[in-house]
Amino acid sequence: MTELKGGALLEARQVVVRFGGLEAVGGLDMAVARGAIHGLIGPNGAGKTTVLNVLTGFIRPTAGRLVFDGEEIGGLNVNGFARRGLARTFQNIRLFGAMTVLESVLVGAHQRFSASAPALIFGGRAARTAERAMIARAHELLDFVGLRHDIADRVATTLSYGHQRRVEIARALMSSPKLLLLDEPLAGMNAVEKQEIAELVRQVRAQGIAVLLIEHDMQIVRSLCDHLTVLEYGKLLADGAPERVLSDPAVQAAYLGRAR
Amino acid sequence: MDYFGQLLANGLVLGAIYALTAVAFTLVYGVVRLVNFAFGELFMLGAFLTTSLMLPEVRLFGTVVPMPGFPLPIAALGAIVITGVIGVVVDRIAYRPLRNAPRLAPLITSIAVSVVLQSLAQTAWGAEELRFPQFYLATLPPVVLFDSIYLSVMDLVVMATAIVAMLGLSLFIARSSLGRAMRASAEDQTAAMLVGIPVNRVVAAAFAIGSGFAALAGLLYAQTYGFAHSSMGFLPGLKALTAAVLGGIGSIPGAALGGLILGLVEALGAGYLPNGTAWKDAISFVLLVGLLYLRPQGLLGRPELNSAGRGSLLGGASEAGAFWLRAVFARVDALLARFAAAGAPAALGLLAIAIVVGTLVPSDYWLRILTMVVIYGMLASGLNVIVGFAGLLDLGFVAFWAVGSYLTSILFVLVLKESYGVAPQEVWWLLYLNLPLGGLLAAGLAVLLGTPTLRLRGDYLAIMTLGFGEIVRVVAINWMDLTRGPMGIRGIPAPNLFGISLGSPRAQFFFALALAAVVVFAVARLVRSYVGRAWVAIREDEEAAEAMGVPTARYKLYAYAASGFVGGFVGVFYAHSQQYISPLNFSLFENILLLMLVVLGGLGTFIGPFVGALIWIVFLQLALDLPFVQAYPETRFALLGVVLIVLMVFRPQGLAASARVGLTMPGARAKEAA
Ligand SMILES: Nc1ncnc2c1ncn2[C@@H]1O[C@H](COP(=O)(O)OP(=O)(O)OP(=O)(O)O)[C@@H](O)[C@H]1O
Ligand SMILES: [Mg+2]
Repeated sequence: MTELKGGALLEARQVVVRFGGLEAVGGLDMAVARGAIHGLIGPNGAGKTTVLNVLTGFIRPTAGRLVFDGEEIGGLNVNGFARRGLARTFQNIRLFGAMTVLESVLVGAHQRFSASAPALIFGGRAARTAERAMIARAHELLDFVGLRHDIADRVATTLSYGHQRRVEIARALMSSPKLLLLDEPLAGMNAVEKQEIAELVRQVRAQGIAVLLIEHDMQIVRSLCDHLTVLEYGKLLADGAPERVLSDPAVQAAYLGRAR
Repeated sequence: MDYFGQLLANGLVLGAIYALTAVAFTLVYGVVRLVNFAFGELFMLGAFLTTSLMLPEVRLFGTVVPMPGFPLPIAALGAIVITGVIGVVVDRIAYRPLRNAPRLAPLITSIAVSVVLQSLAQTAWGAEELRFPQFYLATLPPVVLFDSIYLSVMDLVVMATAIVAMLGLSLFIARSSLGRAMRASAEDQTAAMLVGIPVNRVVAAAFAIGSGFAALAGLLYAQTYGFAHSSMGFLPGLKALTAAVLGGIGSIPGAALGGLILGLVEALGAGYLPNGTAWKDAISFVLLVGLLYLRPQGLLGRPELNSAGRGSLLGGASEAGAFWLRAVFARVDALLARFAAAGAPAALGLLAIAIVVGTLVPSDYWLRILTMVVIYGMLASGLNVIVGFAGLLDLGFVAFWAVGSYLTSILFVLVLKESYGVAPQEVWWLLYLNLPLGGLLAAGLAVLLGTPTLRLRGDYLAIMTLGFGEIVRVVAINWMDLTRGPMGIRGIPAPNLFGISLGSPRAQFFFALALAAVVVFAVARLVRSYVGRAWVAIREDEEAAEAMGVPTARYKLYAYAASGFVGGFVGVFYAHSQQYISPLNFSLFENILLLMLVVLGGLGTFIGPFVGALIWIVFLQLALDLPFVQAYPETRFALLGVVLIVLMVFRPQGLAASARVGLTMPGARAKEAA
């Protein structure tokens, strides 16, 4: 692949993932630049979710290296990835059942709390201040993702699908990540909602947070992304600026060939 | 060599019996992924039924009932068939409605079934052993092998029966159409259903066969050891489960192998280790714990079985039930929800009510009972931290309770009073030191025991913690110098404050109440913070929690520690309030009882454990006035089991579940609303 410009936020080198006999990702190189919206596209089953799982530590790759913000992160636990500044959502929404929206979002801020057990039990001042600050921040973020305040005390899993997606994004943002990884956040939404979420993603970028986005809607991808990586059968098919990549005949063939 | 040969022979007989029972666990687990704890009790029923059918008459419910006096083979066949039918009925009533519920709901139900069957058996056959009758084969002279190993003819029959039964089952599963259907359902139930396999019937068949095997093992056991007893199925059941896990649960050859290994290890261990017979029960559990740690899938098993579905322990289970029932609960729920939303004022209100009750109740008898309610409520609260909030089923919690109790008892009685002649009144303050000390010691133990379980989930976690609890109990029984063994420790002083004895029932009640306030306050403070949010997140979706930056392993250990602390803390007071403790106080049954109380009241609520304890202990006393219960006290436990099964089917989240606990700091919220 092409030489990376110095200072990519996240670099994956020669990543291989095998599930038994199936090679879901085969020697993938990719780099996500700081502050960019990076699209990861490809036909169904191309290995996009698998790549996202590798980039967030959910799957230990069979081979390959991961460098995030100048640091080797391949050996970390999943929570270590999160602590370094990688936050994600899931293709199938995974909110915590039985928790309210506010509580769920606060879990995203877990790493920002540090009060000891005695401080919590005996009501330390610092513990209360931290809690208050995080609750305020959670409300800001609920605002930011376009949810009304009165939703904060509802049990998250009882919300509508679209609202659950937004809660999931707020929860991920709550950790103040450097890179937000979204697995098909627009799936199952109508055109208006899609535009809203796309706008939300732009605002995230405006805050200096890079976004890795898996998406099937080429219209949106074209207008939203700064950079595209295309996968097919776990291999890199194309990589570069959206216009150029999307007009690549190989990419078009991959989509047409699969879609029919 | 003679000695070794004899041990080998004993081990083979025992192994055959374990293997047969292990097959029951493995067969049902393979098809429905359920650890049916009740197989130990079906084992016991097999023994009782066979014995009864062979006798000319039996005392049932206190009256002499004539029996057919069949020869062994016919009696055995009858017992196996009846037990098989019972197994199918149990599945139909207690497990089938929970087929799609989270995994732990049927697990808890199976524990409840076990309690029901055991107490019913004790009610029917009484608390005494029923001697296995003499019969022709048993009177034959033993066979002598290599001039030195004596094997009775029945020993040979046991081994032969086990081999034939297992080969027959393997053949049946490989060849018959029902067997093929079983294998298909074991692979993938949905797929099996889609291709038209009647899954319910297949499951029923697995239960019938499994129960039959358990009954066969039970009757062979009764024959070998010469008696039947209502609690005889408990330990062999656990060991057979161990054998099944050892071999790799779900695999029939694995069960055979596991049973054989366990039987041999136990027999040889009992024979060669110093004081081996006393420790032989610990041997199997140490083996179990070690194995689960190193290779949870067992020798021949598959790793993916070590998993629990995502989601709450019990929540999400279907809420069936008649309309009026739901209407009643809707009222209660609304009330509870309002109560829980009120937070601290509501809790203080409850405390005030408890104080008023404690002041006004005139009878010492009832004060003692209320003290027990508070103690069990506190213990259940401790268990609730790990089970209700963090979602980890812990069957070894009693160990923490025991640690606190023994710590203070050993210090006060064995060390100070008996070794140094210090009167307890002189060191009354030590109790107040021991409370946190017992808590810390138990918390340390909890972390120690919790660490190896971190990789385990669901059923395997339950089994491993159960193994730990049993090991601690066996140690308490056998480490005579430290614990006085089964005799227990007497003369533990009543609580005392500045030389004033707090031994009166009323003083004890208020003492317990004060501790309960401390426990609930501390637990609530932890739960209503980022720690509690991390616990609940782990319970609901461990992977997602991890992805949000929660170091889940560490927070599980915190949950163990918090739960252990409460156990140890309360244990210290428990010893002083009872003034006598023995290993019997800390049996697995107590753990199961505590679990039932939490489930009854509502997992993951602050009030649930106390609701459960209040209902149970007050019921226990009121029931004593019923003539039926006076005649058969054991039926109370059966009733608790039945209530729990009904609850699991109709309202799995517990009675007080709607007293939902907020997970944010109360003060922090109040400000933000302004
Ligand atoms: N845990 C797993 N075990 C075995 N195979 C897997 C596993 N996860 C994914 N696969 C396989 O790897 C391949 C890539 O799957 P992946 O989910 O990454 O695709 P995707 O690009 O995200 O597809 P979609 O657009 O449908 O979400 C598929 O063939 C899938 O069946
Ligand atoms: Mg995907």
